[in-house]
Amino acid sequence: MEYVGEHLVIGQIGNLFVILSFVFALLASISYFFAARDNQDSLSWKNIGRWSFRLHGLSVFGIVTTLFIMLFNHYFEYEYVWHHSNKAMPMRYILSCFWEGQEGSFLLWTFWHVVLGFILQVKAKEWEAPVMSVISLVQAFLASMLLGIFIFGNHRIGSNPFTVLLREHPDWANIPLFQNPDYVSKIDGNGLNPLLQNYWMTIHPPTLFLGFALTVVPFAYAIAGLWKRKYTEWLKPALPWTFVGVAILGIGILMGGAWAYEALSFGGFWAWDPVENASLVPWLTLVGAAHLMLINKNKGQSLFTAFALSILTFVLILYSTFLTRSGILGETSVHAFTDLGMSGQLLIYLLFFLVLGIILLIVNYKKMPSSSEEESIYSREFWMFVGAIILLVSSFQIMFYTSIPVWNKLFGLKMAPSKDIINFYNSWQLPFAFLVTMLVAIGQYFKFKNTDPKEFIKKITFSFIVAVVLTGLFAYILNYKNFLYILLMFSAIFAAVANFNYITHALGGKIRKAGASVAHIGFALILLGALISTSKKDVISQNTSGKDLANLGEKISNRDNILLTEGDTLPMGNYFVTFKGRRQEGINVHFDVDYFTKTNNTYTKEFTLSPLFQINPRMGNVPEPDTRHFMTFDIYTHVTYALIESPKASMEKSNDEYTAAKNVTMKTGDTVFSSNAIIILDSLSTNFDKTKYNIGNEDIAVMAHFRVLDIIKKYQANPIFVIHENSIQPIASKVDELGLQFMFWKINPEDGKIEISVQEKKSNIKDFIVMQAMIFPYINILWMGCIIMALGTFMAILERIRKTKN
Amino acid sequence: MKKIHILGIIIIAVAIGAILTTLNSTSTYASFSEAEQSPDNEFHVVGKLNRDKEMVYDPKLDANIFTFYMKDNAGMEKKVILHKNKPQDFERSEQIVLIGKVNGEVFEASDILMKCPSKYNDGKPQAAK
Repeated sequence: MEYVGEHLVIGQIGNLFVILSFVFALLASISYFFAARDNQDSLSWKNIGRWSFRLHGLSVFGIVTTLFIMLFNHYFEYEYVWHHSNKAMPMRYILSCFWEGQEGSFLLWTFWHVVLGFILQVKAKEWEAPVMSVISLVQAFLASMLLGIFIFGNHRIGSNPFTVLLREHPDWANIPLFQNPDYVSKIDGNGLNPLLQNYWMTIHPPTLFLGFALTVVPFAYAIAGLWKRKYTEWLKPALPWTFVGVAILGIGILMGGAWAYEALSFGGFWAWDPVENASLVPWLTLVGAAHLMLINKNKGQSLFTAFALSILTFVLILYSTFLTRSGILGETSVHAFTDLGMSGQLLIYLLFFLVLGIILLIVNYKKMPSSSEEESIYSREFWMFVGAIILLVSSFQIMFYTSIPVWNKLFGLKMAPSKDIINFYNSWQLPFAFLVTMLVAIGQYFKFKNTDPKEFIKKITFSFIVAVVLTGLFAYILNYKNFLYILLMFSAIFAAVANFNYITHALGGKIRKAGASVAHIGFALILLGALISTSKKDVISQNTSGKDLANLGEKISNRDNILLTEGDTLPMGNYFVTFKGRRQEGINVHFDVDYFTKTNNTYTKEFTLSPLFQINPRMGNVPEPDTRHFMTFDIYTHVTYALIESPKASMEKSNDEYTAAKNVTMKTGDTVFSSNAIIILDSLSTNFDKTKYNIGNEDIAVMAHFRVLDIIKKYQANPIFVIHENSIQPIASKVDELGLQFMFWKINPEDGKIEISVQEKKSNIKDFIVMQAMIFPYINILWMGCIIMALGTFMAILERIRKTKN
Repeated sequence: MKKIHILGIIIIAVAIGAILTTLNSTSTYASFSEAEQSPDNEFHVVGKLNRDKEMVYDPKLDANIFTFYMKDNAGMEKKVILHKNKPQDFERSEQIVLIGKVNGEVFEASDILMKCPSKYNDGKPQAAK
């Protein structure tokens, strides 16, 4: 069939850019390679390299622009646009659509590499050729991820964002929509994953990918240093970049945590999810690499490790990409991408750069300058080295466990991650965190080379005592019993105090030099905030409805959910809560819950929280939490279950009808619940005025006496069990005020149990939600720490750049 | 012996420790029948919801109990008691992973993971409304 109205030209333009970006990246890499190999300033190769990389960069910008134009104009004839956007979606989420898919996120990564490459072309000076050769090679690999061409028959290289929907899925031509030649004017897109329709998702991915991209710089410098045998000279120019990477990647990871806290409903900011781990681990090794680079800048004492960690960090970024994009994580992660058939390709890249790094390291190992004299344990470099190694071991533990699906695949195992995965990671990472924060506390009090132990003790004692006192105080207030928690709390406080003290005393308050100390204070506060807010996280939504029947209790029962019926007021933590009702705003259904405090029997409304459901019939409805932030704690709530249609909507017409009967077996003294009352069976009797009910004398009749209590009043209900001429003819009893009807069906003479049925009027049915609420104490320490750490890192970078210039 | 060597030995020891504990603190993917054979151990069971059998969730009675029937990948069906709220959009789940133990005739799950195909994959193209 001939289709009309397809915008095919723009796709061809996009495709042209894809091919150009790949070709020029390859050309740039080769030209820069020759320019770097001929040590003479061979300008001709260098010039070809420069222009090739510029053209490569422009092509990448071209791809980005083309894709944006297509998304902006809703060209749903393209698979990518159709897949990741639709007409109903607000335009402010167009950025999220752009990087929702794999192709878009690779593009984002490539884009940042181009930006960094452009800066390095100007700034790298004598390092330009070797460094840009490495970066261009990385770019060629990444650009090939977008090619989408077939080689050797049916091996596809890359996945192209400019694929036309009907060419990608020829079988869909049979769908009625495509019988219309003008389908383009009718089609709508699949839409954006509702989880990504959140402002954090417009800033978290670009920040994180910039962080990823920045790791290529120390990697490229390290490779260049090994290649050109400039074993120590690469450190100085690479250092500021490495610390920028530490800052940006750190911010990106924490933004992911903030997004999880604000928009996801797993109840926290960190869950040791494989995708989170995959970005945390390279950050840890990057921090290790950065600190090793610092100590080796002047002397080559642990050069080999500095090289190894710089290379490892980049390889880990590639490994993370492999984990999250290959679909291998499968069931173990909530937000891994689906497999686009590129896992083989990713694995090849990963192995290529890993093997390249290892070979270069082995070849150069013997030639690296190393000092034979041992480092003193009173030297700063010794402890920085130890710290970097601890970070490495900590990364290893996280990566090994996160890689369980990989081990399963490699060795044919059937391991599944532990159910209590958070505790498992914590039990390993808490001691590492303790050791690292201890080093952060004492590190700066050691001098390079050697320190007088007495002087060291004299300087550190004050901070130590302050930290002990503060820890004792906090541990008492928070009622800490876990020894490990107290230790970590102490080390974090010690680190913060000691670094603060270092700024005021050792640096004499010279703010310009205080970057490192400020960053360390931030790091310590992050750990402190994370420790307190997670270890003292308090789920306050225990089932307090009074309907918690003890006999249903199970050992493993998860009692974190509370049922709130519209209008009822229940105690929850220090508050009383009332579910006011639902309110629809566009695609969001808000559930308004009022929070009251009670003093002297008067309720004061404090605030309202409105956790919501985003209604998305196509992709599933998504809950979004609502959190009230206070200075010292947060109240975090999310709806775990609610009826999507308000139950009231369906019953307006039939207010007087009764619902289906609920059958209950009970004996004297037992209690059952209706939606609005507590029903107690007080007694059974046969001695009552039977004529009043027209019961004959031969009939068998038993009356049940129920006490029916609602919040205000007490009612009676007396259904009667009657056997008349061998057939059961029960007489109903109603409580009209509560809309209840009782029937008495059966008596078991052996155990005295009776069977009754309770019916409620449909108008009794109220809307309800099942909700979780938890308190995160002192979580603001964590966010404050994030800001301080970022601030400190940038201060240190500025100082370093200033020093480099002098 | 240099300090660096001592450090190296400690690192290797810790790394081996990490590997060993990792291997010890994993659960196993299993079928219902394998889980039945060792009722004391916790398993991950992968399967599909049986939509034809009843699902019971009465939050008014207990918001933390939900029962349904699941067929595991080997085709065996079991009643499941989930000690949690009913997951929203449960009916749409394509695949379920249960974490829990067999207890007589039922599987007592303490946690559940669902794959809803719709979130990352998709349906067929539609016309705009």
